[in-house]
Amino acid sequence: MAFNLDMHCEMILDEYRQRQTTYEKLKNVVLETLTKTLHDNNMLVTAVEGRVKTEKSLTGKLELKGHKYRTIDDITDIVGTRIIAFFSDEVDTISAFVEKLFEVDWENSVDKRKMLAIDRFGYMSLHYVCRLPAAIYSDPSMPLLNQIRFELQMRTALQHVWANMQHDTGYKSQVEIPIEYQRSLNRLAGILELADEQFSRIRKEINDYRRNVQSLVASGNFDEVPLNGDTFRSYCELKPFNRLAEKIATINQAEVYEDNPMPYYKVLRALGMETIGDVQRMMNEYGEGAYQLALIQLAGTGLDIVASSVALQNLCIVMILKKGYGEAGLNRMFDSIYGQSDYNAQRASRIFGQAQRINLVN
Amino acid sequence: MDTIITNEGTKTMVKLKGRLDTTNADQFQHDIQPLMECKDPDIDVDCCDMEYTSSQGLRLFLTLQKSVMSHGGKLVLRNMKPQVKEVFDITGFSNIITIV
Repeated sequence: MAFNLDMHCEMILDEYRQRQTTYEKLKNVVLETLTKTLHDNNMLVTAVEGRVKTEKSLTGKLELKGHKYRTIDDITDIVGTRIIAFFSDEVDTISAFVEKLFEVDWENSVDKRKMLAIDRFGYMSLHYVCRLPAAIYSDPSMPLLNQIRFELQMRTALQHVWANMQHDTGYKSQVEIPIEYQRSLNRLAGILELADEQFSRIRKEINDYRRNVQSLVASGNFDEVPLNGDTFRSYCELKPFNRLAEKIATINQAEVYEDNPMPYYKVLRALGMETIGDVQRMMNEYGEGAYQLALIQLAGTGLDIVASSVALQNLCIVMILKKGYGEAGLNRMFDSIYGQSDYNAQRASRIFGQAQRINLVN
Repeated sequence: MDTIITNEGTKTMVKLKGRLDTTNADQFQHDIQPLMECKDPDIDVDCCDMEYTSSQGLRLFLTLQKSVMSHGGKLVLRNMKPQVKEVFDITGFSNIITIV
């Protein structure tokens, strides 16, 4: 495509060429600053990305509406950056970080999420025009670094999908697309907006549920707490097996290395436990047996380090034997935790023999 | 205790032979030190000729495991004799380290 720029636009283009290094530097500093801030605040996002407008794209823009710009500084999206969040409510959190980090040019910033009429669906994104404060980064050889404005878009992944599809199919196109396709795109925008809202709502409900479970577990009303992955994890945060692990450690004056008891969750479920109260009862009922088993295995070995999960491991072993599931039950437990192997049968047989000697087998 | 380390493509193969106890734990630690400096380590330890490990050995395997995890890698111990595997089992270390 041949471009016909007037002298004013050619001057803007020359200025652009001279500033290329500064633009690239500005983009990189902004992206690094955003990435670090999100990381430091434990915010997971889909992407942090940026680009410097190409000469071809700028030329096209100048050809279309060059008369609008007095100087190159009036073009605020030469450096464009973007944060793509997972959830719609996170866009507001991210914008709060951005407002603290950069100087926001409020006159030129727009919240396109609030610009659509109630019966319209379409482009939903938060656009800030910002400057990089010298307090974050400055370079005496690039004084414009803190003066040039850049654009920062914040949107969800679904808003991003829609924006890209719209861009590819219609926006900026030379050929206007038929109304039925535009209508289809708008219907899709409505669905995506609904999906965004639902994802945020579901996430909030899951978080509320987890908080509720944590407070139930912390209150000690264990019989009211159903046993599932979340409740067991919260229960484990109370370190309920540590006392038994410490007792086992006294056999050889051993050090206890704290590890993750979660692999035993499926064993507890297979043993028919339905509430955290059942786990608590297992500990009260079989704790002594679990210790006796450790005693027969560890005494005299000189092994002076144990993993804390050995407590739950032995509790499960004792419960399996006391419930009469025998060697086969032990073998099944090992298969479910470590995967099937011939060794599991040998181990089950060895433990069964040890347990018989100390009357742990029913 | 003999430690032989070789590389096969992106995988590091370690072969252990003999007893790992207080008399040779320092040497073993020295031998495996380079493995703790690898990026994305993929370490396969063949224990078929290993006769015994003491708690010193368990500690060193634990240190190696932590280092491998922190570098986003993988550590697998394989072909353990039953008497060696029993040490990992009764201390609960089978729950920490992948043994196949």
